[in-house]
Amino acid sequence: MKKSPFTLSRRQLLKAGAGLSASGLLYTSALQANTIDTQARIVVVGGGASGMAMANRLATRLRGGTITLIEPRDTHHYQPGWTLVASGVWHPEKTMRPNADFVPQGINWVRQYAAGIDAENRRVDLANGESLEYDYLVVATGLQLNYNLIDGMSSDLVGQHGIGSVYASVEGAARTRQAIKGWIDSGEGKGIFTSAPTAVKCAGAPLKMTFTTLTHLEESGRRDAFDVDFMSPTGGLFSQPWVNDFVKQRFDEQGVNRRHHYRLSAIDPQAKQAEFTFEGDQGSLVVPNDLRSGTANAQGKPTIIADYDFIHVVPPMSAPDFVKQSDLIAQDGPHQGEWLDVDIHTLQHKRYPEVFGIGDVIGAPINKTAASVKAQAPVVEANLLAAIQGKSLTARHDGYTSCPMITGIGKAMLVEFGYEDNYAFMPTFPFIDPKDESWAVWVMKDYMLQPAYYAVLEGQA
Amino acid sequence: MSISSIFTVLMYALAPFAWLIIAGVVILLAVHLLAYMRGYQITQYRCMLATGIAALIGLSAFFWAPWLTNSQFTYINTVFDWVAAIGSIIGAFVVAFLLLHPLSYLVKGQDT
Repeated sequence: MKKSPFTLSRRQLLKAGAGLSASGLLYTSALQANTIDTQARIVVVGGGASGMAMANRLATRLRGGTITLIEPRDTHHYQPGWTLVASGVWHPEKTMRPNADFVPQGINWVRQYAAGIDAENRRVDLANGESLEYDYLVVATGLQLNYNLIDGMSSDLVGQHGIGSVYASVEGAARTRQAIKGWIDSGEGKGIFTSAPTAVKCAGAPLKMTFTTLTHLEESGRRDAFDVDFMSPTGGLFSQPWVNDFVKQRFDEQGVNRRHHYRLSAIDPQAKQAEFTFEGDQGSLVVPNDLRSGTANAQGKPTIIADYDFIHVVPPMSAPDFVKQSDLIAQDGPHQGEWLDVDIHTLQHKRYPEVFGIGDVIGAPINKTAASVKAQAPVVEANLLAAIQGKSLTARHDGYTSCPMITGIGKAMLVEFGYEDNYAFMPTFPFIDPKDESWAVWVMKDYMLQPAYYAVLEGQA
Repeated sequence: MSISSIFTVLMYALAPFAWLIIAGVVILLAVHLLAYMRGYQITQYRCMLATGIAALIGLSAFFWAPWLTNSQFTYINTVFDWVAAIGSIIGAFVVAFLLLHPLSYLVKGQDT
C-alpha cells in the first residue's frame, strides 16, 4: 500500500507547528511550558495499564489535536492482584474499578475492539467496521493468552477438573482458588504447576502460585500427603539469575519436584492427565517413577504423561492476533511473528517511526509487568512528544521491571531489575534488599502497590 | 523513585482510608475538646492506668500488625521490617494514649 501524499505533508506541518509552539513556550507560564500545541491525531490502542497511563499523560501534555483511546471494556482490572485472589487473600471485587474513573476528559473514548492495524496507511480498523486514521499510534494492546496451543485446554476449563490458571481472568483466578482449596480439602494428591515456553506477563506469577499453595498445604498439617511438581519448559525458573537460583533452592527445600524442559502440550481434563513434551536433550531424559512415557509427538520429541489432582496452567502468550497480522509485528529476531517490533530503549517502532509500543505487547526480553509500564510511560511520552516536534528521541527505557516475589502468604521479596549487566538488581529503596524475604515488602504488595498502580494509570507516578 | 512520587503514592494509598482517618481525628479532637473544656491539660494530668493500657495496646501491635496484614509475627525479618514493626508499636501507643488519657480525665475527674 502507498502512503498518502496528504498524510506526509500533514506530518511535516504537524512538526513545523509543534516546533513553532515549542519556541513560543518561552513566553508562556511554567504550567503551559509543560504542554505543546499540536494538531496531531493520536490513537492509543488498548486501555489497560499502559494505554490508560499514556492517555492520561498525553491529555496533560498536549494542547489541540485529538487523542483517541480504543478500549471496549467498561471495567478496569488490577491484574497484579489476581495472584492474591487465587491465593485466597483478596476478594475479586478488590481488583475491579470502572474504566470511566481513569479515562481523562477531553479525549475520545472509542468503546470498540480493534480489529486491525494498517501501518502503511496509518489506520486502525475497528470491530464494527469503522476505522480511525492516525498521525501517531501508541500500541498498548496487552497480550493474548493462547490456551488453544495446549491441546484439550481452554480458559472455560479453569475451575473444573482440578484445573487452575491465575492468568485467565479475575473470575478464573477466583475459580483457581476454589480448585486449589478443593484439592487441599481432599487431603492428598499431586499438584502440578507449569510455566510457559513463551514470554509471559508477570513472569513471577507461576512461582507465586506455587509458593502460596505451599503455604496452604503446610497450614493444612498434611504437607507430606501432597506431591508438588513444578514443570518448566526451560532450564530456568526466572529471568533474574540470583532469583532463579534462590527459587530453585527454595523449591528443593520445600519438597517441590522440579522438572526442567517439560512443556505442557496437552491436557485431558476428564482423566486428569497432562501431557508434557520434553524440550531438552533427548539423551538426558529420564522419566521419573511417578510419570510415564507417552508417544513421540509429530516432531519426534518424546512426551511424558502425568496424572494430577490439581494443575496450574500457564498458557503460551503472544501479541494479539490483529497485531500479529499487521506490519508492526517483528519480522525477524527472537520476537519474530509474536511481539511488537520496537526499539527496547526508545520504545519507538523500528520501521514505522510514528508508532510507539508500551506494555506487554512489545518484544523485549523482560518487562511484561505493571511496574515496567510505570517506567516506560514517561519514556513513550517524552519520545512521542519529541517526534511530534521533530526532535531526536532522547528518553531511554532501561528495562526496569519489578516483581514482588511472594514466597509465602505473608512474606515477599521486592525484586527489581533491568536490562543491564545480565538483569542486575535496580532497587528503588536503598533500605530494601531485593534478596531478603520481608514482611514489610508483603505489606507493600498487599496495600501499597495497587494505589501506586492507579497513580500510574492517572499519569501521576 | 523521587520524594514527590513516594508522596503521590502515599496519598493514593491513604485515600481509601480517608474516612477512617478523618473519623479517628474527629473523635480524638472531640474527646480532647471536651476534656479541655473541663480543665484537662495533657502535661499536667497524670494517669498511670491510661498510660499503662496505652503501652499494652502499643506493645500488642507487635503481634496484631502482622496478623492484620495477612502475615505473621515470624515473618518480621529484615531491619526494615523491625523498623516498621517498632513504628507500628509507637503509632498504636500514641493513638491509644491520646484517646485514653483525656478519656480517663473525663471519667475520673480533676481530683485524680
